[in-house]
Amino acid sequence: MFEPRPAQKRILEYNGGRMGISAVPGSGKTHTLSALAAQIISAGTLAEDQEVLVVTLVNSAVANFTQRVESFLKDRGTLPGFQYRVRTLHGLANDIVSERPSIAGLANDYSILDERDATQIISAAASAWYRSHVEQVEAYLAPDISQNQMWKVRKEHLPKLLRELSVAFIRTVKDKQLSEEQVAEIAELARQRDGFHALYMCASIYGDYQRALHYRGAVDFDDLIRLALAALRQDDQLLSRLRQRWPYILEDEAQDSSLLQQEILELLSGGSGNWVRVGDPNQAIYATFTTANPRFLREFMQTPGVTPRDLPESGRSTQSIINLANHIITWTRKQHPIPSARTALDLPLIQPVLPGDANPNPDDAASLVRVLDRKQEPEEELLRVADSLEEWLKHNSDKTVAMLSSLNRHLEKMSELLKSRGIPAIELLRSTSATRRAAGQLDNVLRFIANPRESSNLASAFTAWRAAILNKEEPGDDDASAAARLRKCTHTEDYLYPQMRDWLADQPLEDAPQVENLLSSFRSTARIWLDAASLPIDELVIFLAVDLFTQPADLAVAHKIAALLRSAAVLNPEWRLSDFSREAAEYTTMERKFTGFSEEDAGFDPSLHKGRAVLATIHKAKGLEWDRVYLTALNNYDFPSGAEGDEYMSERWFLKGRLNLQAEVLAQLDLALSGQLDSYIEGEAAYADRLHYINERLRVLYVGVTRARSELLLSWNTGLQKRSTEALALTEIKDYLVANGIIPARRDA
Amino acid sequence: MQSPMEFTSDQQAILTSPLHIRTWAEGTAGCGKSTAAAARLQQMAAQGIPAQHILILLPQRTLAEPYTRVIDSLSFPPGGRPDILTLNGLAQRTLSLFWPLAATSAGFPQPNRPPVFLTMETAQYYMAHVAGPLLQRGYFAAVSLTPNRLYSQLLDNLNKSALVGFPHTEIATRLSSAWNGASSQLRVFDQAQEAINLFRQFCHQHNLLDFSLQIEVFLRNLWPGLLCRQYLLYRYRHIIADNLEEDTPAAHDLLLDWLPHLDSALLLYDREAGYRKFLGADPTSALRLREICPHQVEFRTPISLPPELSTFTHAFASTLKQPGSDTPGSEPAAPSLSEAEVLQCIRPLATRFYPQMLDAAVQEANRLIREEGLPSGQIAILAPYLSDRLRFGLVERLKRLEIPVRVLRPSRSLQEDAYIRCLLALARLAHPAWQLPVIREDFTAMLSTAIASLDLCRAGLLTEIVYPRKKEQCLPGDFSIVNADMKDRITYVSGGHYTELREWINAYTDQPPLQLEFFFSRLFGELLTRPGFGFYNHPAAGEVTANLMESVRKFRQAVQSTVEVSEIPKEFIRAVESGLVSAQYLRSWGSSADDAVTIAPAFSFLLQNRPVSAQIWLDAGSNAWFERLEQPLTHPYVLSRQWQAGDQWDDTREVEANRQTLYRLAAGLMRRCTGRILMLHCELNEQGFEQQGALIKNAAFAFGRIRRLSQNPVPAAPSTEGSDV
Repeated sequence: MFEPRPAQKRILEYNGGRMGISAVPGSGKTHTLSALAAQIISAGTLAEDQEVLVVTLVNSAVANFTQRVESFLKDRGTLPGFQYRVRTLHGLANDIVSERPSIAGLANDYSILDERDATQIISAAASAWYRSHVEQVEAYLAPDISQNQMWKVRKEHLPKLLRELSVAFIRTVKDKQLSEEQVAEIAELARQRDGFHALYMCASIYGDYQRALHYRGAVDFDDLIRLALAALRQDDQLLSRLRQRWPYILEDEAQDSSLLQQEILELLSGGSGNWVRVGDPNQAIYATFTTANPRFLREFMQTPGVTPRDLPESGRSTQSIINLANHIITWTRKQHPIPSARTALDLPLIQPVLPGDANPNPDDAASLVRVLDRKQEPEEELLRVADSLEEWLKHNSDKTVAMLSSLNRHLEKMSELLKSRGIPAIELLRSTSATRRAAGQLDNVLRFIANPRESSNLASAFTAWRAAILNKEEPGDDDASAAARLRKCTHTEDYLYPQMRDWLADQPLEDAPQVENLLSSFRSTARIWLDAASLPIDELVIFLAVDLFTQPADLAVAHKIAALLRSAAVLNPEWRLSDFSREAAEYTTMERKFTGFSEEDAGFDPSLHKGRAVLATIHKAKGLEWDRVYLTALNNYDFPSGAEGDEYMSERWFLKGRLNLQAEVLAQLDLALSGQLDSYIEGEAAYADRLHYINERLRVLYVGVTRARSELLLSWNTGLQKRSTEALALTEIKDYLVANGIIPARRDA
Repeated sequence: MQSPMEFTSDQQAILTSPLHIRTWAEGTAGCGKSTAAAARLQQMAAQGIPAQHILILLPQRTLAEPYTRVIDSLSFPPGGRPDILTLNGLAQRTLSLFWPLAATSAGFPQPNRPPVFLTMETAQYYMAHVAGPLLQRGYFAAVSLTPNRLYSQLLDNLNKSALVGFPHTEIATRLSSAWNGASSQLRVFDQAQEAINLFRQFCHQHNLLDFSLQIEVFLRNLWPGLLCRQYLLYRYRHIIADNLEEDTPAAHDLLLDWLPHLDSALLLYDREAGYRKFLGADPTSALRLREICPHQVEFRTPISLPPELSTFTHAFASTLKQPGSDTPGSEPAAPSLSEAEVLQCIRPLATRFYPQMLDAAVQEANRLIREEGLPSGQIAILAPYLSDRLRFGLVERLKRLEIPVRVLRPSRSLQEDAYIRCLLALARLAHPAWQLPVIREDFTAMLSTAIASLDLCRAGLLTEIVYPRKKEQCLPGDFSIVNADMKDRITYVSGGHYTELREWINAYTDQPPLQLEFFFSRLFGELLTRPGFGFYNHPAAGEVTANLMESVRKFRQAVQSTVEVSEIPKEFIRAVESGLVSAQYLRSWGSSADDAVTIAPAFSFLLQNRPVSAQIWLDAGSNAWFERLEQPLTHPYVLSRQWQAGDQWDDTREVEANRQTLYRLAAGLMRRCTGRILMLHCELNEQGFEQQGALIKNAAFAFGRIRRLSQNPVPAAPSTEGSDV
C-alpha cells in the first residue's frame, strides 16, 4: 500500500493545469507519477478512448512505469491495459508519425534505423570522404605526430573522429529541424571558403546519409522526433485529435528533455493543458550525447501559470551520505573556481524522510564514507577495489554492492579481474542477458549450419541445443563429455551423414550410454537443421527457435532477430549464412533493439543480486541504489574543473592545436545559419564546450554519490596516459570529510 | 447446388424473374447473392442460351469459384463455355484481336508491330529503366521509399488514371491540390509526373502496353469504334457482373454503355464492402448501374450469421460512431444477448509475445478439429498482413500437428527458393561469357541441391578443392584433382554425379548458348531429374522450374524490343536478384479448400466469398486492421472519381476512412463466419513494441456496451436497416 509522504501528497492533489516538480534522488518521483496516473484514470473522467500519456526517458522505464500503474489500478479494480500509454520520446514520436506517415513522405511500413546501422552508413560515407579528400582532411593534423603514431592516426583515430563528428553534426542538424536544402546550401557556403573544410565535409556526409535513408525507406531516431514535431505543426486536425486522445501528459525525467521534446509535449498539451513534468536538474547527465538541457525544466518551473513543487525528501541514503551530496551542491554553487560551473547543481538540498516513514533512511551509525587517497594507475585501482570487494562480500552476502565508473573499458577489465578471482559479479553494461543468451545460441547454430565441417562449430551447436533442453540447469558430465568428443571429430561428415564410416559407432561408448544417446539424438536434430539451410534467413531462425528456446521471451527475441535479419538480407542481398551469423552475434551487444522482451527490461533490480558485485557506468546506474558503492576513476580527465593542466576528451591530441573539431564545426554551423560565418574565431567554441562539460561532469559525480545507501568508497587513478591527477571535486570531498571528522587527515581508507 | 426449395425469398426473386431482363441485386455479404447468380447461370444454360453469349464479369479472378463450379457441372454443346473475365482480361483479349486498329487511333508509331502486354513485373522493370536515372539525379529525395516501392507507386498512379478515367498528365495536379502537408513535399509530385510521362512515352515508342494502357486504349480507342463494338455486342448478349462494388469506374462506365444493348444482365452489389479501394474499386460509382436496371432485388437477411455475432457487430459499429459523421453500421437491429452469450461466439484472448499468439492460434485450430470434430476446411486463420515469416511460423506449427493447410497468398519470390537458386547458379556457371561469378557458398548450396547424395559437409569439402577462390568467373575443377583421401570422404558416388554435372556444363558451353528458358528446360530434363540428382522425384522442383521458365519467357517477350538479345538472360538474373522480378505465383499447397485450414490475409479471405465455421484473427492489436496502405506518391481516395477538386485530404478524412475500413473489414469477416471467432491479441508485436490498435480497443468497448446494455436493457431502437447511420 502506497503511503505518500507530505510532499508527494501535495503532488497528488493535482487537479489539472501545468505543474513542474523538482525531485531529489530517491524521492520516489516515478512512484508518485505512477500513482498520479492511476488516480486520474480511477477518477473516471476520461472518455472511453482517452488516455493518460506518460513520457519517460528509456525503454526500461516504460516497463517499470507500466507495472507500477497496473499495480495501482489493480488495487482499484480498473480495466487493465487501457486508458494510459507509457512511451519514451522516440516511442511517442513513432506513434505520432505512424498516424499519418505520408505527411512525412513515408509509407506505413517505414523502417527505423538503429544507431548501429546509422553509424555504419555514416562511417562508410566518412571513410569515402577521407579517401577522396586526404589532403584537406589531414590538414587538420598536428604537425608533430611521429611516424609511428601517424599510421595509427590514419587507420584508427582520424576515421573514428570523422565518424563521431558526422554523427554529432547530423544529430544537431536534425535537432535544428534544418531541411536538406538548407544543409546543402551550408555545404556550398563552406566549400567556397577557406578554412571550413570540416563543415563542408559534415554537410556533404549528411546529404549522403539522407540519400541512403531514403533509398532504404528508413528514418533514424532523430528523424522520428523532428518528423513528429513537423506533423503536429503542419496538421491542426491531427494535433487536435491527439490532444483529445491525451488530455493528461505526465513527463518523467524531464531534466533530460530536449527542446524538441518540450515543443512536442507543449503542442500536445495545448496552451494551458494538463502537463506535469517531474525531474531532477542535478541528474541531467545526457547533454553530451543528446541535445537535452536541464535549463528547459528550470525555465518551465518559473513560467507563469505553472505550479512549482519540490520532492525534497529521500529515504535512500544515510544522513552522512546525504550531507556529502548536499555539500557537493553547496560547494559547487558557492565555491567552484569557474563561475559558470556554479549553476551546474541546483537546489533543493536532499532532506531525510520524517520519522515514522514506511521507508526510513538507513541507520547512520552503520554508515561509511571513505576515500582511497593514493596516486595509482587504473590497474592498481582495480586491484585494490577487487581486494576490498572480495573481503566485504565474505561478510555481506545479504547486501548489495556496485562498482561505478565513467568508462566501459574500466568496467570490462574489472569484470575479467573478478571472474579470474571467482568473485561473483554481474555486468550492467549493454544488453539484457535474455537477449545475449538467445542471440548467442542462434549465432552458434547459424555458424554451424554455415560451416558444418568445423568440429568447433559442431560442438558449439551441441552446447546450444543442450542448453535449450536443460533450460537453465547446469550441464552435466555427460554433456561435457559429448561436447568434448564432438570438438575432436575431425571428419564431421562421418558423424552427421555416415556413409562408409560412422564416427559415432566407432566411439568407445560402451560404458557411457547416456553420452551415446545424446550424440545420437543431436545428430538427428543437426541433420534437420542442415536440411533447413536453404530457407530464407528469417524462416530459418524461426525454424531453429523451436528447437532452441522454450521460454516465451526467448522465442520472442528469436522472432525479432528473424525480422532484423530479414531486413539485413534486403539491404545486403549478397549476404550468406556466415554473414547472418556474424550479424546475429552483433545483436548480443545491442540494447535498444531488444528491450521489451525480457523481465529484466522492467528495470534492473539490485536487490535481486545480493552478494554479487554489480559493475555499471554511472549513467546506467541512474535510478538505482546499492548498500555499498565504489565510485572509481575520479580524476581530472573524467571530472575536469577548468584548472590549468586539465585535459578534455573532446580535444584530440593528434589535431593541430588540440582542436575540439566537433565544437568548432557546430559553432560554424550556427554562424552559417545566422549568416555570420565570416566572423568565426577558432577556439572559442572549444572553450564554451569545456565549460559545458565541466558542469555535466559535476552532475555525473553527484549521481554517482547518491547511488549509495550506507557505504561510499571513492578513488581515483592516473588514467590511460598516466598523467591525470585527483579531480578537484574529490579533493573538496576529502577536505569536507576531514573537516567533519569522518575520515582522518591524509590516511588511506 | 441448392434445390429450389432451399432458396431464400430474395434468391427466388431473381430466379423467378424473366430471363430477358436487367436485374440489380444488392445486400450485405452472406445473403446468398452469388449463389442465386450461379443458379441463374444454370437456368440460362438450361433455357438454351448459347454459352458463348454469356459473359461473367468480375473484378478479380478469385471470385470466380461459384461460377466455375456451375460451368464445370454443366455439359455445354460444342462451341464454347461462358467466359469469365475481368475488365483487364476483356481488354487484353480485344486488343489482341483489333491491335492495328487500336494502335493507329491511339497514336502508336509502329502499329504494324505486335503489342507487348506488360505484366506487373515487366512494367516495373521498365519503370526502373525510366525512373532509375531520375533517382540517381536526386529526384524523389523528399520521400523515403525503396526504389521498387517507388516504381510500383508510379505505376499505380498510371493505373488509377486509366481506371478512374482522367488523363495521366493530371496526376501531379490532383495529388498536389489535395496535399495538406509541407509545401516542400509538393515538388515530389511533379517529379513523379515527369517519370510517369517519360514512361508513357517509352511505352508508346516500343508498343509496350502496361495495365493502364491496356485499359485506356481498349476503352478510348476500341470500344467506341464500330468494329470492336459490333463484335462485342454480337459476342456477348448476357452479362452477369458480380461484386460490382469491388470493380472500378472504368468497368462501370463500360457496363453503363453496354447494358442497354444486352438481352439480359444480372448485376450484384455488396453493401458495406469496397475492399479493393486501393486498387481503384469504387462502390459509389457502381451504384449508377442500379438506375438503369428495371428489376431490383434487395437481399435483407444474412443466411447464417449467428445472433451472437450479430449482437457483437451491432455493438462494435456503435463504438465507431461519431456525432455528425457518416458512420458505419447498417446491421439490422441486433438481438439482445448477454456478454456471456456473445463470448460463446466471439472471444478475445491476449498473449504477451508474438510466438505465443501463433501457438494459441494453432492450439485452437487443433482443438476445434480434434475435440469438436470440425473439418479443417471450416477453419480460417486470418491476419491483417501475412508476411512470409508469419506464414512459415503457422504452417510449420500446423504441419507438426499434421493439420493440412492452404495459404491464400503468393508463394515466396524466385530468389528465395532453393531449387531456383540452384538453377540460377548453374546458369551462371554454364555461361562464362556473362561474367557473373558464383559465390562459393552458393556453389556449395548448388552442389547439395543438385546432387542428391551430397550433404552440406561433403559439398563444402568438394567446393574447397574444386572451386577456385577467385572473384572472376571460372569453371570448377575436375573430380580427378581431388586426392584419394578426400575422394573417400566425399564418396565416389557423389564424385561421379559431380563429374556428370561438370561434363554436362562443359558440353553445353562448347555450343552456342540457348535461350535461357530452353537452357533450364534442358538442364532439368537431361540432368537434374535423373536418378542421383536432386530434382529426381521432387514434384515441387518441377513446379518451380516451370514457373522460372515461364517467368523468363514473359520477361524475354517484354524486353526483346528494347534489350540486346544476348543481354536478356543477364538482365533477367539481375532483375530477379534485385527483387524487380519475383514471379510470385499462387501455389496450390497440395490441399483443397475443403480439407485444409485456410491461412490468409483478411482482405484476401473476404474476396474469396467463402464462409467458414470458425475464424481465428491474429494480431488484433495491430493498426494494420484499419490503416490504409500509406503510399507517399499515390492516393486511392484523391485519385478516385468521388474526389472533389479543391478538397484536401486531411486528418479528419483519414480517420473517417480508417473507421469505415475497420468496420467494413470486421463486419465483412463476421458475415463470413457461421460459428465462432477467436480474436488473438499479442501485447508486444514481433518487434517488441506494445500495440493496442483500434480493433482490439473497440472490441473491448463493444463488450463493455453489451455488458452495460444487458445490465440496463433499453427499449429497442428503431431499425437502422439499409442506410449508413
